[in-house]
Amino acid sequence: MAAPRKAGGTGDRPDLLTAILFVGFGALGLWAGRDLTMGTAAAMGPGYLPRLVCWLLILVGLVVGGIGLFRAREDIAFPQLRPLLVILLAVVGFAFIAEYFGFVAASISLLVIGSLADRESRWREVILLTAGLTAFGALVFIVGLGVQMPIWPF
Amino acid sequence: MEFLDLLMLGFGEALTPTNLGFCLLGALLGTLIGVLPGIGPTATIAVLLPITFYLPPLAGIIMLAGIYYGAQYGGSTTAILVNLPGEASSVVTAIDGYRMAQKGKAGSALAVAALGSFFAGTVATFGVAIAGPMLSSFALSFGPAEYVSLMIFGLLAATVLARGPVLKAIGMILFGLLLGMVGIDASSGEERLTFNAIELFDGIDFVVIAIGVFGFTEIIENLENVEGRGVLVSKLSRLWPTREDFRQAWPAVLRGTGVGTFLGILPGGGATLSSFCAYSLEKKVSRTPEEFGQGAVAGVAGPEAANNAGAQSSFIPLLTLGIPSNNMMAMMLSAFIIHGITPGPTVLQTQPQIFWGLVASMWIGNLMLVVINLPMIGIWVKLLTVPYRLLYPAILLFCCVGVYSINNRIFDVVLAAGFGFLGYLFRKAKCEPGPLLLGFVLGPLLETNLRRAMVLSDGSPSVFFERPISLVLLVATAAMFILMVLPSFRKTREVAFREEEA
Amino acid sequence: MKHLIRNTALATSMLVSIGAAHAEWPTDRPIEMIVAFAPGGGTDVMHRTLAPYIEKELGAKITILNRPGASGEIAYTAMTQAKPDGYTLSSLNTPGFLTMQMDRKVRFDPKKVCLVARIVEDPGSFIVQAKSQFNSLKDLVAYAKANPGKVSVGTTGLGTDEHLALLQLEKSAGIDLTPVTFNGANEARTALLGGHIMAMGINVGEFVGSEKSAFKALGQFADQRAVIAPDLPTAKEQGFDVIMSSERGIAMNCDVPEAIRTKYSDAVKKAVDNPEFQEKAKQQSLPLSYRSSEEWNKELPARAERLGEVWKLVKEQK
Repeated sequence: MAAPRKAGGTGDRPDLLTAILFVGFGALGLWAGRDLTMGTAAAMGPGYLPRLVCWLLILVGLVVGGIGLFRAREDIAFPQLRPLLVILLAVVGFAFIAEYFGFVAASISLLVIGSLADRESRWREVILLTAGLTAFGALVFIVGLGVQMPIWPF
Repeated sequence: MEFLDLLMLGFGEALTPTNLGFCLLGALLGTLIGVLPGIGPTATIAVLLPITFYLPPLAGIIMLAGIYYGAQYGGSTTAILVNLPGEASSVVTAIDGYRMAQKGKAGSALAVAALGSFFAGTVATFGVAIAGPMLSSFALSFGPAEYVSLMIFGLLAATVLARGPVLKAIGMILFGLLLGMVGIDASSGEERLTFNAIELFDGIDFVVIAIGVFGFTEIIENLENVEGRGVLVSKLSRLWPTREDFRQAWPAVLRGTGVGTFLGILPGGGATLSSFCAYSLEKKVSRTPEEFGQGAVAGVAGPEAANNAGAQSSFIPLLTLGIPSNNMMAMMLSAFIIHGITPGPTVLQTQPQIFWGLVASMWIGNLMLVVINLPMIGIWVKLLTVPYRLLYPAILLFCCVGVYSINNRIFDVVLAAGFGFLGYLFRKAKCEPGPLLLGFVLGPLLETNLRRAMVLSDGSPSVFFERPISLVLLVATAAMFILMVLPSFRKTREVAFREEEA
Repeated sequence: MKHLIRNTALATSMLVSIGAAHAEWPTDRPIEMIVAFAPGGGTDVMHRTLAPYIEKELGAKITILNRPGASGEIAYTAMTQAKPDGYTLSSLNTPGFLTMQMDRKVRFDPKKVCLVARIVEDPGSFIVQAKSQFNSLKDLVAYAKANPGKVSVGTTGLGTDEHLALLQLEKSAGIDLTPVTFNGANEARTALLGGHIMAMGINVGEFVGSEKSAFKALGQFADQRAVIAPDLPTAKEQGFDVIMSSERGIAMNCDVPEAIRTKYSDAVKKAVDNPEFQEKAKQQSLPLSYRSSEEWNKELPARAERLGEVWKLVKEQK
């Protein structure tokens, strides 16, 4: 995670990102819980603590961001989209395929799509690995440990 | 002496071939599911529960107990090797354990974890046998007010876990607290922060967040950094801990055992709290706190001992009072009830072989686990030499199956993917996920107990200062807070932070 | 190990089933029983215990699938959305099934949920520490009258069986109790044992099995005394109009042909009557109380109506 440092300028980018995340989630929490009743200290309503926590989160976010603005400039390495998108897509795909077509299909799709995330993947290895892991998973998880998922699509 | 007679009775029961066999089976199964990320002991025991119908009562319970503490051993393996804690208790192990693995000391970390766990397991087992009934009455004196103080203490201690600045750690804890509030609020029956999704009515599962922010994020991160990827940053040095490692580990193991045995008996978050309280303690007493987070042996030994001791001592309230202290123990209670046995003082008198047989088998099981695990270390460490392009698909598959199996639904897997993305953003923002998970686990306990305490005291906060145990905990919290803001302490934190950046 | 064998059998039978597409219900593929609660809980253990005996009666395979969440709504939704061919059933628990429809729009069509068989009726009760000064509901009411708001009672949340019983008692006796919410009966039991609350609500079936030296029950909220607690007086006998019990049974989609539903209902009856199952039920202190599809359907509206009345009390409190 070696962040490149550029000479000159201020603003610690990771800190600013932190501030955005904290303030954003705090605000989201406040918005999602806008209808919850506060109640009193003796009979706290469902909204009492969530609201308190959200405001604290926003406050912490603002302080982190405020300090970050004046710190020496530090950049965030530009994200590589390939691993990020491929892995997330493969996982979501696994869930839907498992539900409708069973474990074997889901596992194959997960492993084949997942392998695209890595430029070093070699096709022969991917095929062998997929076959081996799918068989292992079906035996250990579904048959052995009783995970409630059909093995085949039918 | 009566105690020895009872212990002999217990060993006599535990050493019958059937019971020995089921003890081994449970320990092996536990190790397996502990190592496989995502699949936790709770789910496994639930699935195996009906099978115990067909076994003699003691054999069935011995096997289930074996799965439970076996999983504690196995769980630390994935935490150390691939930075993937399967349970709240191994979040802490991952911090220094994974760093040790990156420095080529995976074997040493695994050995320290196994030996520390065995020692703690032994002490705690005898603790259960000797002081069980006495300890459980202490646990009962913990009411809502005491819990609130304990949780506040715990949450503040959690900030020590983070390598980065305290403020970010506090923010992550708050975010964890917020995630813990998602779901139907029992006291009012209202939906909170669910965005109208029925799947969120019962809250988010720990495994979903853990797999997301640790499992998926780690994979994405590793694939991004082509050079320094995987665990093998440096060469494997040696398999066995050095004399120096042992010297650093054993006092930590002793302290961890004490903390774990003590906190494990507390119903609720006790077992979870024990591992990271042990970590905080080690960091506090260490002469070189800056090593923590960089692969400190004591940072693995203490928490590992604590979580295993806690796992053993959480049986105390169940066996002596018939009260389960966590989900796992509730499952064990079901196993007893299926056979028409209700644990408690009466059973202790009328069927002593059940209690003592289980206690003896726990020790035997721990011994088996060490014997199984030590030779395995070589194999585990070899696993790290497998190229990452072959390793990560397997981790990915295990994570997906694990998340799906919690509630058998798509939703959780998609949510875990979402947390994977969130975890990625937090990495970019240089925020540690550890405190988030602890806030998430302890938050609901804090809230329900706070509300309970306020209902019972009619809204008067003085209840927290009037009850002695609660007062002691609050004073300890205040003392720790002062230490944190003291300049000298802040300096050591800064040092640790800078070193990491360099 | 049995599990392993069963699953292999399942996989094979699935393979075979492609060949014989339209065999006679229920033998051409396994019946899926959706349990609305997590594995290991009371409802799950009960269904898992009973399933083999129903299998024997029908000559079919039953697989248990856990879909926990939202007090059963997730399971009911899954059941009503499955193909109505008699191969998908779900567990059904009251009062949860009825109360969830009172407050908000549920995500399934309640008209599609048809009761197949009731297996258990478990009355509610209040318990206290064994050494408590209270020996009956009367004692508790008398103390509460003298000290309004001082009697704290553990429940598992607003609108749950225990809370509804508490509201009825408050109204019937004209007292004021303080409900304290816990996440499940076990937590409440710990707090009661530690003396942090004075009483708690719990089902008789859950209590009968637990440690006698620690707790005692003050009364049961049933119409008639339950079979597993014949010595415990009902609230009515003590002069309070409190009736609250939870039922556990099985439901199917109403679009399933009635012949199939009746056949299943009869099979459950025979399974419940099996002496082997009766023995196991006794060990688990299950208060068995079978009702056929027809009988249960007849009784439910009255139960729903009474619950509706009680639910108004919840609304008032909000």
